[in-house]
Amino acid sequence: MFSLFYGLWKYVFTKDEFRVLILGVDKAGKTTLLEKLKSMYLKGEGLPPDRVVPTVGLNIGRIEDAKAKLVFWDLGGQVGLRTIWEKYYEEAHAIMYVIDAATASSFEDSKSALEKVIHHEHLRGAPLLIVANKQDLPGAIDDEELAKFLHQELDERPYTFQAVSAYDGRGIKSGIDWLVEQMEKSKRTETLQARAGVPGQI
Amino acid sequence: MGIVFTRLFSSVFGNREARILVLGLDNAGKTTILYRLQMGEVVSTIPTIGFNVETVQYNNIKFQVWDLGGQTSIRPYWRCYFPNTQAIIYVVDSSDTDRLVTAKEEFHAILEEDELKGAVVLVYANKQDLPGALDDAAITESLELHKIKSRQWAIFKTSAIKGEGLFEGLDWLSNTLKSGSS
Repeated sequence: MFSLFYGLWKYVFTKDEFRVLILGVDKAGKTTLLEKLKSMYLKGEGLPPDRVVPTVGLNIGRIEDAKAKLVFWDLGGQVGLRTIWEKYYEEAHAIMYVIDAATASSFEDSKSALEKVIHHEHLRGAPLLIVANKQDLPGAIDDEELAKFLHQELDERPYTFQAVSAYDGRGIKSGIDWLVEQMEKSKRTETLQARAGVPGQI
Repeated sequence: MGIVFTRLFSSVFGNREARILVLGLDNAGKTTILYRLQMGEVVSTIPTIGFNVETVQYNNIKFQVWDLGGQTSIRPYWRCYFPNTQAIIYVVDSSDTDRLVTAKEEFHAILEEDELKGAVVLVYANKQDLPGALDDAAITESLELHKIKSRQWAIFKTSAIKGEGLFEGLDWLSNTLKSGSS
């Protein structure tokens, strides 16, 4: 009887934990976005944009919203470091792919890197949020224009485009809400949960 | 009352203290790095038996840096220094390719220590001035850094002799310790 109530209690009050990979080429604004996320959801924490340095490794952010706990893995985007991205794929629930929407010269590189991400078998079915970042800058293209540029690259996974400024925070919340909603109903989440409890994390 | 003012003062001016352990195999360059950071010059060192400890003030953080001897026989004593550590600087001799496997094993053994669970990890791919030194991507691969999933890490190419890369690493460290997430 107790375990029944305990189970019910756990069911109602325990939040799911989701792991979201933040990917994108260097200078896209991944770490600035992560820091902004932290300052929005954790109140007061998070580095100001001018203190962010290029990532050569892994930054982690943990936040909690009304429905879920989210762990963000922000990986460095320089060419030589992109080989480590795939080592994190298997355990990720979803991907946030960040693109500098104000720098047209980075689009091709972004596109081909995204293509590799999408076609990797370890990311099958993972919801994908494509972030058109740097909306605060003049000349930034919006989410619709970016979608036109990238549409033929995408497969049948759930995806959406979101105009964001990691600098002033616009668009971040709706992006996160979409991700949480998608992850909650995603088949991939079930698969990952079934595998959970497997040791090996350090 | 005094303590309140001290706290207030340090929170306003961002002065923090952090305890850092510098670890790595013998001859990786730990002691040279420590004194390069502390005095800004290259000192001639002898193999460390025991430890060196110095305070380095950087970016409003007072780093208390412990450099522990790296020889096989004394590595078991590293453990005595683990409690209350905020960060580990792991130093690798990037040109000593024969011992990278050992470096990897020691590294992952350290990460499994309970008392270091909360510490962030900074890797110095050191001795970049030597011919045949592997770059940061190659060291990342050989140390299997990607197995680290629940704490923050970063790798920097350094040359302690030339003074390159060391402070970039400390920049990352001070940012990471300040933004205080993991």
